[in-house]
Amino acid sequence: MSETVLSVRNLGRRFGSEGDFVTRGLRRVGLAPPPAVVRAVEDVSFDLKKGEVLGVVGESGCGKSTLGRMVAGLLDPTSGTIDRPDPGGKALPMQMIFQDPFSSLNPRKRVKTLIGEAPRVHRLTSPAEAESYVAELMERCGIDPSYADRFPHAFSGGQRQRVGIARALAVQPEILVCDEAVSALDVSIQAQIVNLFMDLRDEFDLTYLFISHDLGIVEHISDRVLVMYLGRVVEMGSVDRIFDAPAHPYTRALIEGVPRLDRRRTVYAPIKGDIPSPLNPPSGCAFHPRCPLATDLCRAERPDLRDMGDGRQAACHHAEELTKEGEPQWPATQTG
Amino acid sequence: MTAVLELRGLQTSFVTPAATIHALRDLSLTVQRGEILGLVGESGSGKSLTGFSINRLISPPGRVTEGEVRLHGQNILALSEPEMRGLRGRKIAMISQDPMMTLNPVLRIGTQIRDALLAHEKLDKAEVRRRAIAALDEVGIPAPEDRLSAYPHQLSGGMRQRVAIAIALLHQPDLIIADEPTTALDVTIQGQILALVQRLCRDRGTALIWISHDLAVVAGLADRVAVMYAGRIVEEGPVDDILDAPAHPYTQGLIASVPVPGQRGGRLQQIPGRMPLLTDLPPGCAFAPRCPRATEACATMPALTPVNSTRAVRCVHPLIKGAEA
Ligand SMILES: Nc1ncnc2c1ncn2[C@@H]1O[C@H](COP(=O)(O)OP(=O)(O)OP(=O)(O)O)[C@@H](O)[C@H]1O
Ligand SMILES: Nc1ncnc2c1ncn2[C@@H]1O[C@H](COP(=O)(O)OP(=O)(O)O)[C@@H](O)[C@H]1O
Ligand code: SF4
Ligand code: SF4
Ligand SMILES: [Mg+2]
Ligand SMILES: [Mg+2]
Repeated sequence: MSETVLSVRNLGRRFGSEGDFVTRGLRRVGLAPPPAVVRAVEDVSFDLKKGEVLGVVGESGCGKSTLGRMVAGLLDPTSGTIDRPDPGGKALPMQMIFQDPFSSLNPRKRVKTLIGEAPRVHRLTSPAEAESYVAELMERCGIDPSYADRFPHAFSGGQRQRVGIARALAVQPEILVCDEAVSALDVSIQAQIVNLFMDLRDEFDLTYLFISHDLGIVEHISDRVLVMYLGRVVEMGSVDRIFDAPAHPYTRALIEGVPRLDRRRTVYAPIKGDIPSPLNPPSGCAFHPRCPLATDLCRAERPDLRDMGDGRQAACHHAEELTKEGEPQWPATQTG
Repeated sequence: MTAVLELRGLQTSFVTPAATIHALRDLSLTVQRGEILGLVGESGSGKSLTGFSINRLISPPGRVTEGEVRLHGQNILALSEPEMRGLRGRKIAMISQDPMMTLNPVLRIGTQIRDALLAHEKLDKAEVRRRAIAALDEVGIPAPEDRLSAYPHQLSGGMRQRVAIAIALLHQPDLIIADEPTTALDVTIQGQILALVQRLCRDRGTALIWISHDLAVVAGLADRVAVMYAGRIVEEGPVDDILDAPAHPYTQGLIASVPVPGQRGGRLQQIPGRMPLLTDLPPGCAFAPRCPRATEACATMPALTPVNSTRAVRCVHPLIKGAEA
């Protein structure tokens, strides 16, 4: 589990236009407002090791899907690089699995075509083997191969997700980017799909970028976790460090706020304030308007992502104070 | 003391020439003043329909075909539609997953609060404004005076849900039915909403039905839990009893499928298969095709049977002694 299969460096993606020729001209002389540019992802760097699950968490709009789509090759970055040190001759090394596989599965194609099409085009199977190739994949993903002639609408949400997974696996990818892949499923079905992901990892040494707003699932499935806030990485490290001793106040707020089966009659004392607009990010540390530890330094200067010495990185001026032993408990939730 | 809400043998059906589907069967529930009841179950189990049935908002071809909905002891199914309109929004309020089901996108927040106030009360202009500001303030919306002139799309999802809650609270209802109100929200915003409803139920004695497929949210919020499966309640009781010692195999399966914090990696326990369609129910217990304890005896529908004075279960082979149906 040491071979690097993907290196992401200073990745960024902006949306929005600089405006047309006239607008740009007017802006130069101060007669038009500055361009509305959303920095959906900024300066994100990480490595993916073979067979590892990197969880990506953060609030809605923080850039998780944008990052995932760039990694999967579905969206071009506006800055930075994505390198695969060993391309290994795979036709389609990255595949993406979405929240609602229904919208990504052509409703007019039978399941056997949906799964079998790409491997045929990329000559991963011979026409003679095609049928058994599809049947094997369906079996592996827990769909009865006798359903091969059905159309997507004839499946439940959980089954459609399995079809989506089988289709992604059909091209023998190295990396699966899962964007909220289990979020729309009921818990009992969610557990089936999570187990399938873990089995596939063991079997094929698959590597995952696992995007989810559900921290419970991310904690369960990930080896490492990347926490995003307003397009930037605010903390990244092993799942144990992140969940047992978060170094960033935002990570801590997220984790403390997660409802848990063993927390009854919880008195929620949640983090205040709304998610800020990425069109108009706060000065300094983007989290400062909601952060109980914010100081003047935080309002003025954006903290760099720093090594914390335990294989973890955090972007907070006061991260050391948060990880110190015997520090007073964060005032989030308590059970009463 | 009479309960705020009492459901007695409620049945809601969709009757078409082709078929009759009973979407809710034999539904009985009680919610006391100040109590929070968590109604859980997977999608399609009938949680939302239960809320709509209580509020008499099932549209044809669906209707409540059997049973009673008692509000403070009075069967509201027997009321005329105008009488029912006098209750809706005043005695019983609803909050839905999507606040835009409550909010009108083309009206200012202030206008919508005014309309909701004037639907049940006679107030002058100044009084309306005062009440509207107080309502927004109560749900933690900063600078409420300024928000009155805002349109819904100018607010974030969490703020919109707060406005919907503020409107639900305007007339100090006795009962609030909240249908997955935080499912679409981020965990940080969800925490804010949970803190808010908790405080309201405690301070005002409002009875609350919190509908959710998320057991963990219910664990932190509810006093009692009712678990639904395929249109029926399969288990009901105090939150600690149900979550620490489930009696129904389905409840146990649900609890076991939730990842345990701190136990990382490893396989999750899963319930095989999925919930049957209402048009395709097995005879007897609907959970039987997925149940590890199923026997031939389960082909006859078990009744919801008391385990003790506070809890009940619908199962032939329950997981705790003395609860056999
Ligand atoms: N095509 C686009 N044009 C303009 N802005 C965009 C586009 N796609 C994304 N954005 C913006 O980029 C930011 C990040 O979006 P993204 O979809 O990556 O968020 P996310 O973290 O996946 O959120 P969620 O949890 O809601 O899925 C948001 O502010 C979004 O509005
Ligand atoms: N208009 C309708 N016609 C027929 N069946 C319906 C209708 N509305 C809901 N149902 C069925 O009733 C059941 C319960 O639905 P619902 O209460 O929305 O479930 P939940 O809220 O638990 O997800 C489902 O099987 C659903 O398909
Ligand atoms: S840098 Fe300051 S405002 Fe930002 S998270 Fe750290 S303490 Fe809070
Ligand atoms: S009645 Fe039988 S099938 Fe149904 S839950 Fe109980 S043991 Fe399982
Ligand atoms: Mg997304
Ligand atoms: Mg529902």
